[in-house]
Amino acid sequence: MAVFLPTGLIVKAQRKNVENRPIDADVNGIKLALGEINARGGVLGKKVELVIEDGQCKPANTVNAAEKLTQRDKVVALIGAFCSSATAAIMPVAQSAKVPLVTGVSSAANLTEKGNTWFFRATETDALLAKSFARILVNQLKLKKVAYIGVNDDFGRGGVEEFEKQMSALGATTVLKEYFEHGTSDYYTLLTKLKASGADGAFVAAETQDGSTLVKQKAELGLSTKVFGVGSWATADFMQLAGPAANGIYAAVPYASTMKTPKNEAFVKAYQDQYKAAPGKYSAAGYNTLNIVVDAIARAQSTDPDKVREALLKTDYEGPNGHFRFDEKGQATGFTVVLVQLENGVPVVVESNTVEK
Amino acid sequence: MKFERNFLLAAVALAALVPLAAYNEYALHIGIMIMFSVMLATSLNLIVGYVGEFPLGHTAFFGIGAYSAALLSARLGLPIYFTIPLAGIVAAISGLAIGAVTLRLRGPFFVIVTLCFAEVLRLVANNWIDLTNGPMGVSGIAKPPSIAGASGVQQKLWFYYAGLVLAAASLLVSYRFVYSNIGRAAVAVRENRFVAQSIGIWPFYLGLITFVLAAAVGGLAGGFYAHYISYVGPEVFGFSFMITMIIMVLAGGKGTLAGPVVGAVLVVFLEEYLRDFKDLRFSIFGLIVVGVVIFLPRGLMGFIGRRHESYERRPAESAKGGVKRDRRAPALEPAGLNRGGAADA
Amino acid sequence: MDLFLQLVANGLVLGAFYALSALGLTLVFGLMRVVNFAHGELYVIGGLFGWALTAVFGWNYFLALVVVVIVLGILGYLIDQILIARVRGQGEEPTILLTIGLSIFIANTALLIVGTTPVTVASPFASKPLILGPVVITQARLLLVVICAVLIAAANLLIQKTTLGRAMRATFQDPMAAQLVGIRTPRIYGFTFALGATLAGAAGMLLGSIYVVEASTGGIISLKAFVVVILGGMGSFAGAVAGGLILGLTEALWGGYVSTGYVDAIGFALVIVTLLVRPYGLFSRRAERA
Repeated sequence: MAVFLPTGLIVKAQRKNVENRPIDADVNGIKLALGEINARGGVLGKKVELVIEDGQCKPANTVNAAEKLTQRDKVVALIGAFCSSATAAIMPVAQSAKVPLVTGVSSAANLTEKGNTWFFRATETDALLAKSFARILVNQLKLKKVAYIGVNDDFGRGGVEEFEKQMSALGATTVLKEYFEHGTSDYYTLLTKLKASGADGAFVAAETQDGSTLVKQKAELGLSTKVFGVGSWATADFMQLAGPAANGIYAAVPYASTMKTPKNEAFVKAYQDQYKAAPGKYSAAGYNTLNIVVDAIARAQSTDPDKVREALLKTDYEGPNGHFRFDEKGQATGFTVVLVQLENGVPVVVESNTVEK
Repeated sequence: MKFERNFLLAAVALAALVPLAAYNEYALHIGIMIMFSVMLATSLNLIVGYVGEFPLGHTAFFGIGAYSAALLSARLGLPIYFTIPLAGIVAAISGLAIGAVTLRLRGPFFVIVTLCFAEVLRLVANNWIDLTNGPMGVSGIAKPPSIAGASGVQQKLWFYYAGLVLAAASLLVSYRFVYSNIGRAAVAVRENRFVAQSIGIWPFYLGLITFVLAAAVGGLAGGFYAHYISYVGPEVFGFSFMITMIIMVLAGGKGTLAGPVVGAVLVVFLEEYLRDFKDLRFSIFGLIVVGVVIFLPRGLMGFIGRRHESYERRPAESAKGGVKRDRRAPALEPAGLNRGGAADA
Repeated sequence: MDLFLQLVANGLVLGAFYALSALGLTLVFGLMRVVNFAHGELYVIGGLFGWALTAVFGWNYFLALVVVVIVLGILGYLIDQILIARVRGQGEEPTILLTIGLSIFIANTALLIVGTTPVTVASPFASKPLILGPVVITQARLLLVVICAVLIAAANLLIQKTTLGRAMRATFQDPMAAQLVGIRTPRIYGFTFALGATLAGAAGMLLGSIYVVEASTGGIISLKAFVVVILGGMGSFAGAVAGGLILGLTEALWGGYVSTGYVDAIGFALVIVTLLVRPYGLFSRRAERA
């Protein structure tokens, strides 16, 4: 299946081992952007085509997929990957094939520190979120003793480390720090420990399934510890799965469907028309990433990889969650991140903050 | 034996010539994955085919090799020429330790206990942050300095030939082993453990030697993988590598040296071409696996090899008769005698 | 002390659930000696069916459970007669490969059909906290432990007291002799596998009302079930209960007092030690199979 297309684009749909849902959301966001772009007549007079490969969040499989996309499909740009470890593994592939690689999801801080000039990240890092919201969380929730709970992977550990660093600097003591495996079904042990630790608040880094099970079981145990965290908290799926147990949770996220910008209202409406659900952070990430890439191709007036890369560096794109510009390391700045509180299935924006360098 | 030797020699010669015909990055990448898979399959085949046990946690050695090479390279800055052989040695030592423990068990118990070892190692790799960097893995594993500034396709060419040398070396060692006295004794144990014991063969000791050799080959594959992919994380101990390995060995034909080679080539191509089926491909893959078990119980090479043998040895075949066999599980299949049960050593 | 009591309570409940999810495998692996890697997928099918019937079509929970039991029984019988029968008596490799292929097929086909969102079986039991002195538990969990005990007792009665059960035990002790006394052994294999699939599916649906059901979780379910069966000793229901409780308690106490990161490794480490010290499992009588 050779694709002879001047503009082939790729999404790397990563099926995470356990937490699968965000990938669909990511792809949905990209498809929405694709429809809009092609309805406008595509770019450089040609329709944009998406070649989707699934790297299953495994470095070796993702490298295989990236090789196939760059060599067999001759794509103009790579979008992905989902998991940071998979992204780290394909960054050399993008570099050696000279294809720009833009991720809207992988948040491990060190990715942009590797000196790879073909890599761009159009999203936040855990460090940026922690810096933005640690103070307001400590002050507003009056936190003195904090428990940190994270899923045992690069995302969970990254989130816990960064938040612990920032919150400890503000005077909160760490009373518990624990990790759990993806797909754990029973959190009673962890929650019993949380109860015994006497924490005022618990920081949790988790995706939809793990997070919803955890907060539901927390309610079953009658624990009233305040929960705040990073991950897929402000998504429709999470709130539906967790039900009333989701109420009151604070989430630091790069995107919430309730953000009040004209761009976002249009995006939410278009997304709801197409998918009958409110977009979450991965939908917005997918939507932004494809738009950023196509925007760069349009400004470069070419699909030549060097020119597209140059154009990406000069990106000034306005998405549903603010402006995106890349610094020389390929890290996006200028966009807005928000702290939301979940109330009856609606993420209410408590505080928003623009990410500066 | 002769057929097998000629087949392997021809395969290596052919592989050495492939880059002349297909000098592009994608083709070479597929070639590299084949070399890597041949090593893995050969390693597993030594145990499945020549000990007659089924180590479901064989990724332990692949993973130990991958982590050894990754850490030696990233932490100590050793060059690739040392890290890959050392990966083999570390894996062999762990093979000695794990084998000494697990080979006391047989049948389903052996299957499960080896799987447990691999899972424990995966969890250790995931949690021992100070050593393995946990789920963040070890990234940026160095490529050899000689190709540092080379273009993508030249780098791939280097890895292709490095892989070919390693795969050929693994096959050569396995060949010498299988056709040595130890190898023949191992086959005797696999065929009939009790008869072998009665003529003075010590199955545990033989199994252990084979186990160590298989671990070493698996470790080499791991070292090669670490440098080529340049990232190693806990998933190297995962079950998905195991599944690929099993399918390569059983589809190609266990207990022959050529079988795993054929199986590796088949599976790599299959995985690549099934991509065109998108989401359906994993379901199709599952069906193919079921189909292979039912319709090709001795694998492709078993099928071809039997055809081949039956021309040469038809008279001998009938002389060996007397044992009741069903039509597709002839002499090479482990007899019902050595199933079930646990330790006898 | 409160911490300890709560951890023990968590461990016992968890252990009962482990035992429940391993019941099917006790029959299939413990008795039939089929190393069934599709066990977890059968569990998932049960859970997904339960979700579809209760949450999507709004059926009564117990009616749905009966349907799940019947469907899984038929499915299990067919899997055995069409697939596993063809590799019977050829050692464990073909069966392992066959069930692995089957599990890949089922898991990914389920993903295609229901998608990747975790779902929950709609259950009539309340999940409000129930405070018993220093220990907190929910009504749903307590009830499920009771159902679990009933199921185990029923399965045990079936194996020990009925003609079918006796035929099963005879078949797996000595197929030849069983055939000689007139037992149709091919059908007994089919029934045993069907019963195993039924128990796996029922467990999937029951536990799916407390946890979530997801197409891709079959693998870990299978692994834990193998751990339980080996810890408790092959082929006895009492053993499965013991194995489940040991696993649940150790995990809870280890997670509570040491670290939750390594919790999943405990079961595997226990199996390694058990197999080395008592290769037939902790509670099995060696004479059972010569």
